[in-house]
Amino acid sequence: MRKLQAIGRRIGGRLLSSVPAILGVVILTFLLMRVLPGDPAVFFASGPSAGQQEIEDLRKQMGLDQPVPVQLVRYLQDIATGNLGRSMTTGQPVLTDMQQRLPASLELTFSALFLALACALPLGILAALRPGSAVDHVVRFLCTLGVCMPTFVSGLLLIYAFYYLLGWAPDPTGRIDIFASAPPEITGFLLFDFAVTGDLEGFRAAFSQLILPACTMALFVLAPLARMTRASMLAVLGSDFIRTARSIGLAPWRVILVYALRNALLPVLTIAGIVFSTMLGANVLVEKVFSWPGVASYALDALLASDYAPVQGFVLLMATIFVLVNLLVDILYGLADPRIAAE
Amino acid sequence: MSASLTSPPRNATLGHIAWVLRGNPLTALAMAGTALLIALAVLAPWIAPYDPIASDVPGALQPPSATHWFGTDQLGRDILSRLLHGTRLDLTIAAAAVGLSFAVGAMIGSFCGFVGGRLDRWVGRFTDVLMAFPLFVLAMAMVAALGNRLENIIYATAIINLPFYIRFARTEVAVRRNAGWVEAAQASGNSRGRVVLFFLLPNILPIVAVQISLNLGWAILNAAGLSFIGLGVQAPTPEWGIMVAEGARFIASGKWWLVFFPGAALMFAVLCFNLLGDGLRDILDPRMRT
Amino acid sequence: MDLTRRQSLLALTALAAPAGIALPAGAQPAASRAETLRQVTGNAVNTLDPTMPGSTREAFGISMNVYDRLVAFGRRQVDGNWVFDHTVIRGELAERFETSADGLKITLHLRKDARWHDGTPVTAEDVKWSLDRAVSAKSLAGPQFTTGSLTKPEQFRIAGPGVIEVLLDKPDRLALSNLAVPYAIMINSKLARQHATAEDPWAQSWLQNNTAASGAYRIDTYRPGVQVTLTRNEDWKGGAEGLPFFRRIILQTVPEAATRANLVERGDADLSIDLQASDITALETRGKVKVASIPQTNGFTHISFNTQVAPFDNVKVRQAIAAALPYDSMFKAALFGRGRPLFGGTFTGQPASADFPQPMPLKQDVERARALLAEAGLASGFSTPFAFSAGQAATAEPLAALVQEALGRIGIKVEIQKMPDAQFNTLVAEKKLNFYTDAGTAWLPATYYFFYLYFTRDQRWNFASWNNPRITELSNAARFETDQAAYDAACREMIGILAEQVPLLMLWQPNMDAVMAANLRDFTYQFYRQVDFRDLKRA
Repeated sequence: MRKLQAIGRRIGGRLLSSVPAILGVVILTFLLMRVLPGDPAVFFASGPSAGQQEIEDLRKQMGLDQPVPVQLVRYLQDIATGNLGRSMTTGQPVLTDMQQRLPASLELTFSALFLALACALPLGILAALRPGSAVDHVVRFLCTLGVCMPTFVSGLLLIYAFYYLLGWAPDPTGRIDIFASAPPEITGFLLFDFAVTGDLEGFRAAFSQLILPACTMALFVLAPLARMTRASMLAVLGSDFIRTARSIGLAPWRVILVYALRNALLPVLTIAGIVFSTMLGANVLVEKVFSWPGVASYALDALLASDYAPVQGFVLLMATIFVLVNLLVDILYGLADPRIAAE
Repeated sequence: MSASLTSPPRNATLGHIAWVLRGNPLTALAMAGTALLIALAVLAPWIAPYDPIASDVPGALQPPSATHWFGTDQLGRDILSRLLHGTRLDLTIAAAAVGLSFAVGAMIGSFCGFVGGRLDRWVGRFTDVLMAFPLFVLAMAMVAALGNRLENIIYATAIINLPFYIRFARTEVAVRRNAGWVEAAQASGNSRGRVVLFFLLPNILPIVAVQISLNLGWAILNAAGLSFIGLGVQAPTPEWGIMVAEGARFIASGKWWLVFFPGAALMFAVLCFNLLGDGLRDILDPRMRT
Repeated sequence: MDLTRRQSLLALTALAAPAGIALPAGAQPAASRAETLRQVTGNAVNTLDPTMPGSTREAFGISMNVYDRLVAFGRRQVDGNWVFDHTVIRGELAERFETSADGLKITLHLRKDARWHDGTPVTAEDVKWSLDRAVSAKSLAGPQFTTGSLTKPEQFRIAGPGVIEVLLDKPDRLALSNLAVPYAIMINSKLARQHATAEDPWAQSWLQNNTAASGAYRIDTYRPGVQVTLTRNEDWKGGAEGLPFFRRIILQTVPEAATRANLVERGDADLSIDLQASDITALETRGKVKVASIPQTNGFTHISFNTQVAPFDNVKVRQAIAAALPYDSMFKAALFGRGRPLFGGTFTGQPASADFPQPMPLKQDVERARALLAEAGLASGFSTPFAFSAGQAATAEPLAALVQEALGRIGIKVEIQKMPDAQFNTLVAEKKLNFYTDAGTAWLPATYYFFYLYFTRDQRWNFASWNNPRITELSNAARFETDQAAYDAACREMIGILAEQVPLLMLWQPNMDAVMAANLRDFTYQFYRQVDFRDLKRA
């Protein structure tokens, strides 16, 4: 009970202390967007025969005729009431757009992270068991190779090979086969939704759409995860309790997988948290290449059109997720290692 | 670990480096690769067979041949020559961006770590704000806001790296703040500024070098990404990122050489920098090897 | 137990159903793959009401298929391809129309059997409301309608059941044509008015995400920025050739051009009209798809000078640059030759034809360029930026590199500036770019309209900020000129002045390259540069 209370206090404290950072992000984004040289009113009023009057009207309608401090105060008020403004590029409220698109980004990022961990953990362990050996070098080389290719190139190459040449992958256009019936809209996470409704065919289709973009992203984050697994395993394998475990004659696989790995996972978890929040914001290019209807490509389009509201909303969302993920990692840490929580 | 047990004492630096390189062929390769890149960058104007900007429209989009080893692009420009000149520009971008964020970040971070107090708290807040940003989007927004010129791409890349250097330097300096030799330096009449600049900063430099090497590769990738979405260096400047981004347009029409050679060059450079970073870590502190 | 679980699941589904999706109308048998058309495009539909500021070209395309207008342009065959014909106007929602002898009154008779998508009959009141909305609401429709002298609601009069009159002060030659453009949608006023509010009397916010239409297709799903699907309206009567062939249309956004090319070539998508020139050539060679290449006869790509700013205010400087550029190389490198050149014309003085755009007398002559520059007192050259928008980079980037190289030879130092689209458009509108490349498309390709829109007045579309009193005078006179010979003479004179003064350099008309499945036919090039699904068939 006391432990729970402590955790609760800790969460509250952490959330409270992250408010200034988020506020800073909001204000900085707001100002950055106003510095953009494009005038959204001019851009969006550019019909084949729009004149100065239309531009002025639009500017007024968007509140851009006000001085910047007034705009900022209004914007903060709007955020406080949960109104993130309206996107000119899609014509929808930003909140609606985000609700529709966030699950797509999250699903992709989770899958990619899962895939990356599934590869990085065995590779890292393998390398840690024989440090300095050929295996170690090969693992390191392969992982580093993944980081070296810009994601848009690896994405395009994967499409060219697996869709165009071999025809193994479905057409790389979004999350679901376009001719299939509409997916069940429960959580927006298609794999989960199809699984819940028992639609195996749909699950398979959604999965095969997901695999190429997830691989593209996973390639890019393999290296830090594998590297951290290796380091952390090396440290644990050298510690006393492993020597003890070995000396009392436990099976080697048992020592490695149960005792060592469990203890080595914590630092990997931290890195995974960081990787997750970076990936979510950085998969702009992957989403573009795979026509993935996620939040990052949405923000990119808006940015290039000087459409303020979606970019501001996106950055706010990312900052919030960043804080939440860090918090989550922290709590998991605390649960796994009571000494940290007690601090 | 065997590494730390058999490693020679610190003063035999060269011997140690040689020892690490023998045990780690990848690092040796990475060093050779980096040296090669630097040599190519320096020699580019003399070894490039053609003018990287001169067009030759009738000879556009030719596959690799004896006259054009890496083929020609949409305007008939020689891809090999553009790649060689691009080496120059890309290494400049990477070095300038990382150098800038290191210089500013390490300085701010060291002072904060040494002085502490209110300054430290404010800078901490600021880095929190920067860290919470989706970094690539921040870079995009900055380049879009300032205009996509070379110097702005460098600034944007430098700024998104800044918080890491600040934090890193702050932590490392804070650890050393109360060390005997720092107190001795202060006692012998050095000002706080002098202590940070001439004693602490040089002391943490080797550890930061690892980070610098990794960041060099990352800065090149960042510039390439910006080029892909149209916020890169201005044409017709030969730059790898823009060449890859333009070449990627020709994947569907089967003109592979447009993306393959710049892509390979880019990968090679990033690979060298990353492996070098790893290797540096080994050389500086075998126990830190990861 | 099972029931309640399913119910709660249903409730969840309803809750999670995203806003902005119009419900499909009625249950119809599912369309087969052959009856389904999938178009992939790089851009996105962002509104269902084409008159909204910021609406994309794709939004125009969708509205043409979902809404009816009173009249429509005909089409004709040119070199084996269908092209819209703005000289032939037929009824769409109107069954017939007549123009009075003095050209001041157009009377339109609505189809007796015309129905809105909800089944209610189309009335003259609906039409009046729609036309009033076009000229009254704050939207893009108002300024467009002024080019046809349609400016106030009093000009639209109900003259009996199903009859509407359009009254004009002067016989404007484009009044009727304006009723055929994407902005001239006819709206079910009873339905729309239910969603009008005091601040929004024309239901603009509701119509952005919903339709009140009578056209050939209904909106099935609308996911802004992702995809739009349409189903055929089985009760549609407005077509020249009956019901459209395709029962279901999918318009999907695929940002990567190479992926779009792959999709069409592998047969997963049926049609794309925005592929890259290099890919199209490769696809044509491999022969798995059909390519309809049609010059965009109502558009032009140009290089503009700011004629109000030194040194470009000096006609000699403009002529020097015009003589310095390697037009053929530019055409080949940027477009791979896929278009119609607007350079290399042979006339001097005035052209023989009053058509516009037509090839202008532009050709490379470096010696002449040097001489002209010396005459302008700038023999040692000068330096200038040259701008283009990132959205046009695929063609503008090679173009800019060649411009930089060619002008370098006569001593003009060019700094290339690629800008994000929003920034570029802002600077063009604010007249802050002095030397840049852009493109223009006129919906109503009458020669006077081109000159009125692109070469007169202080406004966004006067690319060169050109102020030539004679052009202003001629374009205004031509607008209301009823005598064809006098009109042609005025047009020829304007083209002659343009060729001599070169406020901008006409470069070319890029092709509309519709890349489609081999069994598609009857693709029509439309003035709004989108696909008219109503014409397309699968053999």
